[in-house]
Amino acid sequence: MFKKNAVAAGMAAFASVALAAGCAVADGSKGSDVDITAMSAEELAEYFIFETGSFRDQEMQEGGTWRDRMTQDDIQKACSMEGNPDGETAGRVVAMARASYEAPESIELGDWRKGAELADSGFGYRMGHNNDNHGQREPGGNCYNCHVFDPRVSVQGTIGPSLVNYGANRGTSEAVLRYVHEVISNPHQYFPCTEMPRFNTVDRQLLTDEQISHIMAYLLDPESPVNNQ
Amino acid sequence: MFKKALLALPVAMAVGAAAQAGEWQDPNDVLQNLLQNNPDSKYLHQSEMNIMMMPDNPALWLVEEGEELFYAQRGPNNVSLEGCDFGKGPGELEGAYVELPRYFDDVGKVMDFEMRLVHCMKELQGFTSDDSAVGQRHGSGSDIMKLTTYIAHQSSGMAWNPPLDHPEEQAMRDAGEVLFFRRGGAMDFNCASCHGDAGKQIRASVLPQMRDSQEWTKAVSWPAHRAGQDNVRSQNHRIRGCVWQMRHAGILPDTPVNTALISFWNDAARGEPAILPDLKR
Ligand code: HEC
Ligand code: HEC
Repeated sequence: MFKKNAVAAGMAAFASVALAAGCAVADGSKGSDVDITAMSAEELAEYFIFETGSFRDQEMQEGGTWRDRMTQDDIQKACSMEGNPDGETAGRVVAMARASYEAPESIELGDWRKGAELADSGFGYRMGHNNDNHGQREPGGNCYNCHVFDPRVSVQGTIGPSLVNYGANRGTSEAVLRYVHEVISNPHQYFPCTEMPRFNTVDRQLLTDEQISHIMAYLLDPESPVNNQ
Repeated sequence: MFKKALLALPVAMAVGAAAQAGEWQDPNDVLQNLLQNNPDSKYLHQSEMNIMMMPDNPALWLVEEGEELFYAQRGPNNVSLEGCDFGKGPGELEGAYVELPRYFDDVGKVMDFEMRLVHCMKELQGFTSDDSAVGQRHGSGSDIMKLTTYIAHQSSGMAWNPPLDHPEEQAMRDAGEVLFFRRGGAMDFNCASCHGDAGKQIRASVLPQMRDSQEWTKAVSWPAHRAGQDNVRSQNHRIRGCVWQMRHAGILPDTPVNTALISFWNDAARGEPAILPDLKR
């Protein structure tokens, strides 16, 4: 799969080629002097991303540049394959996911109405021709893009499992609260290389603990429409 | 209105022999065949209304307008685009669109369709990036979308067949495959997060599965009129939209990442007939 060292070596190799050629990399109309057939497909993909001006030079909502946004962390690297991870990769990903999870001291359910709003919102972190301004509106969790919460609403996603009656079927024991918090924060702890994003790790806070408590209420509170189907 | 373009085609086909990629077919016929061959594809069958509207696809109006633009003498150099080589020789358009991206000797690199079109508008006609003729890439009113729709239409019904003979074409396609599965960005997405399984939905949209070439040929058949946006859109526009939803950084046209993705996704539809232009949600 993705060999970090090979890529690093390839990157160093083309860096010197580019230097020798006076940095004549792709300018949109002329061929570049870098031999793209000399790199592995993985090296070439990295080269294209980072050295050819393929992305807008913008500052990201979380701070940092387009380059930071496009740089993979270890879990992203490990999961960049087609299909499911093999056993070794899956074990490694679960271990990395556990290491980057911090359990809060106590977990309480927040306000399911606020949680519904957050789960239904696809706003946030989009960059490019149109940038989500987090100063104007708080970013949401995008959950409805992948999950059905309420079968009466027709426009919900099916990339993830249906969460209808999620709390009604599971209750609100401490173990359930802990599990759901762990899944939302970093689902790779249970589902290595899942399509579901990590919403709260030591390196990343797409959702705060408070926001997660609202979303958890939407999933688990007996009053929530999720549990009254 | 668009009858002229349709009538001109049989003649063109007869002249441009050796259409190994298959015969030109009306886009609606191509779609109807796909639907019949894939009765269980949720993606292909998702919008009855769009299927019904297909014979009156508003994108067909752009075919007519694009044809006029193609043959008109334009730009500071006051020449038509008949000198533009999309890979089959200057002015040879049949089958050209489904055999892109490809390596072009005159520039020494692989170009996708829009890159090549812009290249010709600049080099032959003398437009610069500041001219709206090449600067404005999106919207049914743009020259680029009119020309794209006209040129693509000349390959309707022919099989996707991007060449891989040149080592750079193969390298581009392979890098595109890596990019398709490369997870990254603020939400860890790769393209397969949403296009890896058949029949999955993001909200109301049923998503195409990349490894199902009969779904994928419709997926990559752009230009297409997007009913929800009331505009004809390009492959570039679709990539920009998906990369934006993925929370990666903002992708730019005429760049290697964009071209590599197109090299891979056209290859993934190889052998299947293109619907040009298509109509989408
Ligand atoms: C890109 C799609 C995607 C998004 C966005 C997403 N999920 Fe998921 N989710 C999944 C998938 C897929 C699974 C199943 C795990 C697996 O097998 O990979 C899952 C699993 C879960 C589970 C565990 C279900 C179980 O079996 O116990 C919960 C709970 C959950 N998601 C909640 C959420 C919440 C809350 C959000 C928003 C903050 C969210 N998801 C956003 C795709 C997504
Ligand atoms: C977060 C989910 C998501 C990701 C990730 C994603 N797409 Fe998409 N893609 C969509 C949606 C949703 C549509 C359909 C748009 C609509 O119907 O409104 C779509 C449409 C498409 C289509 C056209 C099919 C059609 O009928 O409109 C292609 C081709 C495509 N995507 C390719 C890609 C590629 C290549 C990538 C990676 C660069 C990618 N997608 C990543 C969600 C996604």
